[in-house]
Amino acid sequence: MKVEYINPFYQATNHVFELMLNLPVEKGDMTISDELVSSKDANITLGVTGDLEGNILFAFPKSMALEMVKIMSGMELEELDTFVASALGEIANIVGGNALTKLSESNYLCDLIPPQITVGEYKSISMASKQVLTVTMKTSIGDFDLNMFLKKK
Amino acid sequence: MMWKDKYKVHVPIIDQQHEELFIRVFSFIEIVQQKGNWEDKITKIKDTLEFMQDYVVFHFDDEEKYQEKINYPHIEIHKQRHQKFKEAINAYAQRFESEGFHEELVQEFGGKLMTWLILHIQVEDQKLGEYAKNTGGYK
Repeated sequence: MKVEYINPFYQATNHVFELMLNLPVEKGDMTISDELVSSKDANITLGVTGDLEGNILFAFPKSMALEMVKIMSGMELEELDTFVASALGEIANIVGGNALTKLSESNYLCDLIPPQITVGEYKSISMASKQVLTVTMKTSIGDFDLNMFLKKK
Repeated sequence: MMWKDKYKVHVPIIDQQHEELFIRVFSFIEIVQQKGNWEDKITKIKDTLEFMQDYVVFHFDDEEKYQEKINYPHIEIHKQRHQKFKEAINAYAQRFESEGFHEELVQEFGGKLMTWLILHIQVEDQKLGEYAKNTGGYK
C-alpha cells in the first residue's frame, strides 16, 4: 500500500476534525495486519471504488463518539443512537470526499460508497492476505483508529 | 447550544440569520432527542421541521441577495450548494410523508442536517466572509 494513497486520508481526517470539531489530531502508532478486527464501539466503513479500491474504517470508542457529537450539538448524549451514528457517518463521508479530491490531484479518480455504520458490536473485516494499515489517531477527547486498505485497480 | 463564535463570518446580517438557523435546527434535534413516547412527539416534530425548513429557504434567499449586492464571484457555486442543501432536506421531507415519521429515519436526518449545516457554514460561508472582509463588503 503506497503512502500516496494513504496520506490523503490521513490529511483529510486532520483537516475535517479541525474544521468540524475544532479538534487537533496527532498521529500515534501504526500497525500493519492481515485481518482487521475493530474492538471499538462505533465503526464506520467507507468503500472506495475507481482507480483505487478498498475500505476505510474509522473506529471510535463510545465516549469519544459521544463527545464528538456533543461538540457539534452542544447536547449531553448517553447512547450511540441513530442520531449519533448518522452524524459520525457524515463526518466520515466528508473526510472521504476530501481525501478523494486530494487523490484526484494525483490523478487517481475514485468514488465513495456511502458509510456503513456498526454500533456496539465488534466489527471484523476479513481482507484475506491483503494488508490493512491501522493508524492510531490521538485527540484530547480520546484515541480512535483509522484503518485503511486500498489497492490500485 | 450548537452555535459557536467561530462560525461567524463577520457580516452582521448573515451572522444573525445563521444563529437563528442554528436555533431552529437545534430545537428540531432537541425534540427528536427528547426522551418519551415517540408518537406523542410527532406533531411537535412536524411543526419544528416546518419551522426550520421555512427559515432555510428564507436565509438562503437573503444570503444570495447579499452576494449579488457585493458582487461575490463565487455566487453560482454557492447557489448550487444552497440548492443541493434544500434538495437534501426535501428528499427527507418526502420520505417522511411517504414512509411516515419513523424515529430511526428522523434521527438519521437530524444527525445529517446538523453536520451539513456546520460544514456549509465552515466552508462556503467562511469563503464568503473572507471575500466580504477583503472587499469591505460589510453592510
